[in-house]
Amino acid sequence: MTVLILTSEQDVTADMVVAELNRLGAPVMRLDPADIPGKAVLSADYAHGDFDGHLSVNGHVLSMGGLRSVWVRRPGDPAAHAAQPSAWLTAETRQALYGMLYSASPAWMNHPGNADQARHKPWQLRVAHFSGFAVPPTVFTTAPRVAEQFAELHRDVVVKSASGPPPDDPAVALPTTLIGPGIDFGAVAAGPALLQRYVPKRADIRLTCVGDRLFAARKRAAPGQIDGRYGDTEYVWEAVPVPDRITTSALEYLSLAGLAYAAFDFAEDDEGVWWFLECNQGGQFGFVELETEQPIAEAVALWLSWRRPESRAPKPRW
Amino acid sequence: MRPFTLNYVRPRALPIVVEPYSFDASLQLNVLGDGRPAVADRDLLLAVGTTTSTAGSQTHFDD
Repeated sequence: MTVLILTSEQDVTADMVVAELNRLGAPVMRLDPADIPGKAVLSADYAHGDFDGHLSVNGHVLSMGGLRSVWVRRPGDPAAHAAQPSAWLTAETRQALYGMLYSASPAWMNHPGNADQARHKPWQLRVAHFSGFAVPPTVFTTAPRVAEQFAELHRDVVVKSASGPPPDDPAVALPTTLIGPGIDFGAVAAGPALLQRYVPKRADIRLTCVGDRLFAARKRAAPGQIDGRYGDTEYVWEAVPVPDRITTSALEYLSLAGLAYAAFDFAEDDEGVWWFLECNQGGQFGFVELETEQPIAEAVALWLSWRRPESRAPKPRW
Repeated sequence: MRPFTLNYVRPRALPIVVEPYSFDASLQLNVLGDGRPAVADRDLLLAVGTTTSTAGSQTHFDD
Protein backbone atom coordinates (compact mmCIF):
# COMPACT_ATOMS: atom_id res chain seq x y z
CA MET A 1 0.00 0.00 0.00
CA THR A 2 1.40 3.33 -1.10
CA VAL A 3 1.49 6.82 0.36
CA LEU A 4 0.81 9.60 -2.18
CA ILE A 5 2.36 13.00 -1.52
CA LEU A 6 0.98 15.89 -3.53
CA THR A 7 3.61 18.60 -3.58
CA SER A 8 6.15 20.46 -5.67
CA GLU A 9 9.58 19.07 -6.42
CA GLN A 10 11.27 21.95 -4.56
CA ASP A 11 9.52 21.14 -1.27
CA VAL A 12 12.33 19.99 1.03
CA THR A 13 9.96 19.70 3.97
CA ALA A 14 8.29 16.90 2.03
CA ASP A 15 11.77 15.43 1.62
CA MET A 16 11.95 15.05 5.41
CA VAL A 17 8.84 12.86 5.32
CA VAL A 18 9.90 10.92 2.21
CA ALA A 19 13.15 10.05 3.99
CA GLU A 20 11.20 8.79 7.00
CA LEU A 21 8.86 6.75 4.79
CA ASN A 22 11.90 5.21 3.13
CA ARG A 23 13.30 4.35 6.55
CA LEU A 24 9.99 2.71 7.48
CA GLY A 25 9.96 0.78 4.21
CA ALA A 26 6.64 2.36 3.18
CA PRO A 27 6.13 2.77 -0.59
CA VAL A 28 5.64 6.38 -1.62
CA MET A 29 4.79 8.31 -4.77
CA ARG A 30 5.47 12.01 -4.95
CA LEU A 31 3.48 13.90 -7.55
CA ASP A 32 2.79 17.53 -8.35
CA PRO A 33 -0.70 18.03 -9.84
CA ALA A 34 0.86 20.83 -11.88
CA ASP A 35 2.58 18.10 -13.92
CA ILE A 36 -0.73 16.62 -15.15
CA PRO A 37 -1.06 16.43 -18.11
CA GLY A 38 2.51 15.99 -19.28
CA LYS A 39 5.19 14.55 -17.04
CA ALA A 40 2.55 12.80 -14.94
CA VAL A 41 -0.23 10.63 -16.39
CA LEU A 42 -3.55 9.59 -14.90
CA SER A 43 -6.27 7.21 -15.96
CA ALA A 44 -9.44 6.13 -14.17
CA ASP A 45 -12.19 3.82 -15.38
CA TYR A 46 -15.63 3.16 -14.00
CA ALA A 47 -16.89 -0.07 -15.55
CA HIS A 48 -18.19 -3.53 -14.69
CA GLY A 49 -19.57 -2.28 -11.39
CA ASP A 50 -16.20 -1.22 -10.08
CA PHE A 51 -13.64 1.52 -10.30
CA ASP A 52 -9.91 1.55 -10.82
CA GLY A 53 -7.38 4.19 -11.59
CA HIS A 54 -3.67 4.72 -12.05
CA LEU A 55 -1.16 7.50 -11.66
CA SER A 56 2.34 7.47 -13.05
CA VAL A 57 5.22 9.90 -12.87
CA ASN A 58 8.98 9.60 -13.28
CA GLY A 59 8.75 5.84 -13.72
CA HIS A 60 6.68 5.33 -10.56
CA VAL A 61 3.21 3.80 -10.96
CA LEU A 62 0.38 3.81 -8.42
CA SER A 63 -2.89 1.88 -8.66
CA MET A 64 -5.82 3.31 -6.74
CA GLY A 65 -6.38 -0.14 -5.24
CA GLY A 66 -2.99 0.21 -3.58
CA LEU A 67 -3.43 3.75 -2.30
CA ARG A 68 -3.19 3.96 1.48
CA SER A 69 -3.15 7.68 2.17
CA VAL A 70 -2.72 11.10 0.59
CA TRP A 71 -0.70 13.95 2.08
CA VAL A 72 -1.80 17.24 0.52
CA ARG A 73 1.36 19.15 1.24
CA ARG A 74 2.16 21.95 -1.28
CA PRO A 75 0.50 20.87 -4.54
CA GLY A 76 0.65 23.09 -7.57
CA ASP A 77 -2.56 23.91 -9.40
CA PRO A 78 -3.51 21.05 -11.70
CA ALA A 79 -2.14 21.55 -15.23
CA ALA A 80 -0.11 24.61 -14.21
CA HIS A 81 2.94 23.17 -16.02
CA ALA A 82 0.99 22.17 -19.14
CA ALA A 83 2.25 23.30 -22.51
CA GLN A 84 -0.87 25.42 -22.95
CA PRO A 85 -2.25 26.09 -19.47
CA SER A 86 -5.68 27.61 -19.02
CA ALA A 87 -8.32 27.97 -16.32
CA TRP A 88 -10.45 25.44 -18.16
CA LEU A 89 -7.61 22.90 -18.35
CA THR A 90 -6.94 23.35 -14.63
CA ALA A 91 -10.62 22.76 -13.84
CA GLU A 92 -10.77 19.66 -16.04
CA THR A 93 -7.57 18.24 -14.56
CA ARG A 94 -8.72 18.96 -11.00
CA GLN A 95 -11.93 17.05 -11.74
CA ALA A 96 -9.99 14.08 -13.09
CA LEU A 97 -7.33 13.89 -10.37
CA TYR A 98 -9.26 14.69 -7.21
CA GLY A 99 -12.38 12.87 -8.43
CA MET A 100 -10.25 9.76 -8.88
CA LEU A 101 -8.58 10.14 -5.49
CA TYR A 102 -11.90 10.72 -3.70
CA SER A 103 -13.21 7.54 -5.33
CA ALA A 104 -10.35 5.52 -3.86
CA SER A 105 -11.26 6.48 -0.27
CA PRO A 106 -7.74 6.83 1.14
CA ALA A 107 -6.88 8.41 4.47
CA TRP A 108 -6.36 12.14 3.94
CA MET A 109 -3.95 14.55 5.56
CA ASN A 110 -5.96 16.73 5.07
CA HIS A 111 -9.10 16.14 3.02
CA PRO A 112 -9.27 19.08 0.56
CA GLY A 113 -12.86 19.86 1.48
CA ASN A 114 -12.04 20.10 5.16
CA ALA A 115 -8.86 22.02 4.36
CA ASP A 116 -10.78 24.63 2.36
CA GLN A 117 -13.13 25.24 5.26
CA ALA A 118 -10.34 25.23 7.83
CA ARG A 119 -8.49 28.07 6.08
CA HIS A 120 -11.24 30.57 6.91
CA LYS A 121 -10.15 32.62 9.90
CA PRO A 122 -13.63 33.66 11.09
CA TRP A 123 -14.59 29.98 11.16
CA GLN A 124 -11.34 29.15 12.99
CA LEU A 125 -12.23 31.54 15.79
CA ARG A 126 -15.67 29.98 16.17
CA VAL A 127 -14.26 26.46 16.35
CA ALA A 128 -11.56 27.66 18.76
CA HIS A 129 -14.26 29.03 21.06
CA PHE A 130 -16.15 25.73 20.88
CA SER A 131 -12.94 23.86 21.65
CA GLY A 132 -12.26 25.82 24.80
CA PHE A 133 -9.29 27.93 23.71
CA ALA A 134 -8.81 31.48 24.95
CA VAL A 135 -9.57 33.68 21.93
CA PRO A 136 -8.85 37.43 21.81
CA PRO A 137 -11.83 39.63 20.91
CA THR A 138 -11.85 40.00 17.13
CA VAL A 139 -13.93 41.74 14.52
CA PHE A 140 -14.18 41.41 10.74
CA THR A 141 -16.01 44.29 9.20
CA THR A 142 -16.54 46.51 6.21
CA ALA A 143 -18.21 49.13 8.43
CA PRO A 144 -15.83 51.95 9.44
CA ARG A 145 -17.95 52.85 12.47
CA VAL A 146 -17.80 49.28 13.79
CA ALA A 147 -14.02 49.23 13.38
CA GLU A 148 -13.76 52.56 15.17
CA GLN A 149 -15.89 51.36 18.08
CA PHE A 150 -13.84 48.17 18.38
CA ALA A 151 -10.61 50.17 18.55
CA GLU A 152 -12.08 52.55 21.13
CA LEU A 153 -13.23 49.65 23.30
CA HIS A 154 -10.01 47.63 23.20
CA ARG A 155 -7.50 50.45 22.79
CA ASP A 156 -4.51 48.31 21.71
CA VAL A 157 -5.62 46.65 18.50
CA VAL A 158 -3.78 44.80 15.75
CA VAL A 159 -4.73 44.53 12.10
CA LYS A 160 -3.92 41.39 10.18
CA SER A 161 -4.79 39.79 6.89
CA ALA A 162 -7.12 36.81 6.74
CA SER A 163 -5.58 35.36 3.59
CA GLY A 164 -1.97 36.54 3.62
CA PRO A 165 -0.22 39.18 1.54
CA PRO A 166 -1.46 40.00 -1.97
CA PRO A 167 -0.50 36.91 -3.99
CA ASP A 168 0.27 38.92 -7.12
CA ASP A 169 3.02 40.96 -5.49
CA PRO A 170 5.81 38.84 -3.96
CA ALA A 171 7.74 41.98 -3.00
CA VAL A 172 5.38 42.89 -0.16
CA ALA A 173 4.73 41.45 3.27
CA LEU A 174 1.68 41.99 5.43
CA PRO A 175 2.67 41.33 9.03
CA THR A 176 0.29 41.64 11.94
CA THR A 177 0.62 45.28 12.95
CA LEU A 178 -0.32 47.27 16.05
CA ILE A 179 -2.34 50.26 14.96
CA GLY A 180 -1.94 53.49 16.80
CA PRO A 181 -4.49 55.97 18.11
CA GLY A 182 -6.30 58.44 15.90
CA ILE A 183 -6.56 56.13 12.93
CA ASP A 184 -9.02 56.94 10.15
CA PHE A 185 -11.02 53.75 9.56
CA GLY A 186 -12.77 55.07 6.44
CA ALA A 187 -10.89 52.65 4.18
CA VAL A 188 -12.47 49.70 6.00
CA ALA A 189 -15.40 50.25 3.62
CA ALA A 190 -13.14 49.23 0.72
CA GLY A 191 -12.40 45.75 2.01
CA PRO A 192 -13.03 43.56 5.07
CA ALA A 193 -10.68 44.41 7.91
CA LEU A 194 -9.65 41.93 10.58
CA LEU A 195 -9.02 43.71 13.87
CA GLN A 196 -8.06 41.90 17.05
CA ARG A 197 -7.33 42.97 20.60
CA TYR A 198 -3.57 42.98 21.02
CA VAL A 199 -2.24 40.32 23.37
CA PRO A 200 1.00 41.51 24.99
CA LYS A 201 3.08 38.38 24.79
CA ARG A 202 6.22 37.03 26.30
CA ALA A 203 6.48 34.19 23.78
CA ASP A 204 5.11 32.69 20.60
CA ILE A 205 3.85 29.13 20.77
CA ARG A 206 3.65 26.76 17.83
CA LEU A 207 1.65 23.60 18.44
CA THR A 208 2.00 21.06 15.65
CA CYS A 209 -0.58 18.27 15.69
CA VAL A 210 -0.20 15.03 13.74
CA GLY A 211 -3.22 12.83 14.41
CA ASP A 212 -3.27 12.62 18.20
CA ARG A 213 0.44 13.42 18.60
CA LEU A 214 1.13 16.97 19.72
CA PHE A 215 4.42 18.87 19.55
CA ALA A 216 4.67 22.25 21.25
CA ALA A 217 7.49 24.70 20.66
CA ARG A 218 8.07 28.08 22.30
CA LYS A 219 10.10 31.08 21.21
CA ARG A 220 10.57 34.11 23.45
CA ALA A 221 9.30 37.32 21.95
CA ALA A 222 11.49 40.37 21.73
CA PRO A 223 10.20 43.49 23.48
CA GLY A 224 7.56 45.10 21.32
CA GLN A 225 7.59 42.29 18.75
CA ILE A 226 4.09 41.92 17.35
CA ASP A 227 4.39 39.28 14.62
CA GLY A 228 6.73 36.45 15.55
CA ARG A 229 7.26 35.54 11.90
CA TYR A 230 9.04 38.78 11.16
CA GLY A 231 12.13 40.34 12.64
CA ASP A 232 15.25 38.43 13.60
CA THR A 233 15.82 37.97 17.31
CA GLU A 234 18.38 36.09 19.37
CA TYR A 235 15.73 33.61 20.43
CA VAL A 236 15.16 30.14 19.02
CA TRP A 237 12.35 27.61 19.13
CA GLU A 238 12.49 25.27 22.12
CA ALA A 239 10.39 22.20 22.83
CA VAL A 240 7.92 22.63 25.71
CA PRO A 241 5.29 20.34 27.26
CA VAL A 242 1.69 20.66 26.15
CA PRO A 243 -0.63 21.63 29.03
CA ASP A 244 -3.45 19.10 29.52
CA ARG A 245 -6.12 21.72 28.89
CA ILE A 246 -4.50 22.66 25.59
CA THR A 247 -4.27 19.00 24.55
CA THR A 248 -7.99 18.55 25.16
CA SER A 249 -8.88 21.69 23.21
CA ALA A 250 -6.54 20.92 20.31
CA LEU A 251 -7.89 17.41 19.85
CA GLU A 252 -11.44 18.77 20.04
CA TYR A 253 -10.58 21.35 17.38
CA LEU A 254 -9.09 18.72 15.05
CA SER A 255 -12.16 16.55 15.48
CA LEU A 256 -14.59 19.39 14.78
CA ALA A 257 -12.57 20.50 11.76
CA GLY A 258 -11.96 17.00 10.39
CA LEU A 259 -8.21 17.57 10.26
CA ALA A 260 -5.44 15.01 10.60
CA TYR A 261 -2.73 17.69 10.67
CA ALA A 262 -2.67 21.27 11.91
CA ALA A 263 -0.24 23.83 13.25
CA PHE A 264 -1.68 26.21 15.84
CA ASP A 265 -0.24 29.62 16.67
CA PHE A 266 -0.67 31.05 20.17
CA ALA A 267 0.54 34.14 22.01
CA GLU A 268 1.67 33.37 25.56
CA ASP A 269 0.91 36.24 27.90
CA ASP A 270 2.66 37.19 31.15
CA GLU A 271 0.39 34.86 33.13
CA GLY A 272 1.22 31.90 30.91
CA VAL A 273 -2.13 31.81 29.09
CA TRP A 274 -1.93 30.55 25.50
CA TRP A 275 -4.18 32.80 23.40
CA PHE A 276 -5.40 31.23 20.16
CA LEU A 277 -4.33 33.23 17.13
CA GLU A 278 -4.87 30.85 14.24
CA CYS A 279 -4.77 27.27 13.06
CA ASN A 280 -2.87 26.54 9.86
CA GLN A 281 -4.21 23.31 8.40
CA GLY A 282 -1.12 22.97 6.20
CA GLY A 283 1.33 24.84 8.40
CA GLN A 284 5.05 24.49 7.99
CA PHE A 285 6.85 22.32 10.51
CA GLY A 286 10.37 21.99 9.13
CA PHE A 287 11.69 25.04 10.95
CA VAL A 288 10.37 23.69 14.27
CA GLU A 289 11.82 20.23 13.79
CA LEU A 290 15.19 21.56 12.71
CA GLU A 291 15.50 23.78 15.81
CA THR A 292 13.87 21.55 18.44
CA GLU A 293 14.61 18.07 17.05
CA GLN A 294 11.00 17.10 17.69
CA PRO A 295 10.26 14.08 15.44
CA ILE A 296 7.41 15.68 13.50
CA ALA A 297 8.37 14.31 10.07
CA GLU A 298 8.52 10.84 11.58
CA ALA A 299 5.05 11.33 13.10
CA VAL A 300 3.67 12.40 9.71
CA ALA A 301 5.26 9.38 8.04
CA LEU A 302 3.87 7.01 10.68
CA TRP A 303 0.38 8.47 10.33
CA LEU A 304 0.48 8.21 6.54
CA SER A 305 1.78 4.64 6.55
CA TRP A 306 -0.48 3.39 9.34
CA ARG A 307 -2.46 0.32 8.29
CA ARG A 308 -6.20 0.99 8.42
CA PRO A 309 -9.24 -1.19 7.81
CA GLU A 310 -9.66 -1.42 4.06
CA SER A 311 -12.65 0.34 2.58
CA ARG A 312 -13.41 0.60 -1.12
CA ALA A 313 -16.64 2.48 -0.62
CA PRO A 314 -16.62 6.29 -0.58
CA LYS A 315 -16.88 7.61 2.96
CA PRO A 316 -18.55 10.78 4.20
CA ARG A 317 -16.09 13.38 5.43
CA TRP A 318 -17.92 13.86 8.70
CA MET B 1 -10.19 53.53 -2.25
CA ARG B 2 -7.37 51.30 -1.01
CA PRO B 3 -8.58 48.63 1.47
CA PHE B 4 -7.67 49.51 5.06
CA THR B 5 -5.52 46.42 5.63
CA LEU B 6 -3.30 47.23 2.66
CA ASN B 7 -2.19 50.40 4.42
CA TYR B 8 0.03 48.09 6.47
CA VAL B 9 1.92 46.30 3.71
CA ARG B 10 5.66 46.57 3.90
CA PRO B 11 8.27 46.00 1.26
CA ARG B 12 9.79 42.59 1.47
CA ALA B 13 13.33 41.98 0.34
CA LEU B 14 13.16 39.17 -2.13
CA PRO B 15 15.76 36.61 -1.10
CA ILE B 16 18.34 35.78 -3.69
CA VAL B 17 18.60 32.10 -2.97
CA VAL B 18 20.40 29.64 -5.14
CA GLU B 19 19.16 26.33 -3.86
CA PRO B 20 22.19 24.05 -3.64
CA TYR B 21 20.13 20.98 -4.36
CA SER B 22 18.08 19.55 -7.18
CA PHE B 23 15.26 17.06 -7.47
CA ASP B 24 16.20 13.46 -8.15
CA ALA B 25 13.18 11.90 -9.84
CA SER B 26 14.16 8.33 -9.07
CA LEU B 27 14.78 8.97 -5.36
CA GLN B 28 11.86 11.44 -5.19
CA LEU B 29 14.13 13.60 -3.04
CA ASN B 30 16.24 16.69 -3.50
CA VAL B 31 19.93 15.90 -3.51
CA LEU B 32 23.08 17.93 -2.97
CA GLY B 33 25.84 18.23 -5.49
CA ASP B 34 27.69 15.35 -3.86
CA GLY B 35 24.66 13.08 -4.18
CA ARG B 36 23.60 13.16 -0.52
CA PRO B 37 19.93 13.88 0.24
CA ALA B 38 19.41 17.58 1.01
CA VAL B 39 17.73 16.64 4.31
CA ALA B 40 21.06 15.23 5.48
CA ASP B 41 22.38 18.78 5.82
CA ARG B 42 20.15 20.40 8.42
CA ASP B 43 22.31 23.48 8.81
CA LEU B 44 21.93 24.12 5.12
CA LEU B 45 18.14 23.76 5.27
CA LEU B 46 17.96 26.29 8.07
CA ALA B 47 20.25 28.64 6.21
CA VAL B 48 18.26 28.66 2.99
CA GLY B 49 15.06 29.19 4.91
CA THR B 50 12.92 27.02 2.69
CA THR B 51 11.27 25.31 5.61
CA THR B 52 10.38 28.39 7.63
CA SER B 53 6.94 29.71 8.34
CA THR B 54 6.98 32.70 6.03
CA ALA B 55 8.52 30.67 3.21
CA GLY B 56 5.23 28.91 2.77
CA SER B 57 3.08 31.98 3.07
CA GLN B 58 4.53 33.55 -0.03
CA THR B 59 2.98 30.97 -2.28
CA HIS B 60 0.28 29.47 -0.07
CA PHE B 61 -1.63 31.01 2.77
CA ASP B 62 -0.89 28.17 5.12
CA ASP B 63 1.94 29.35 7.29
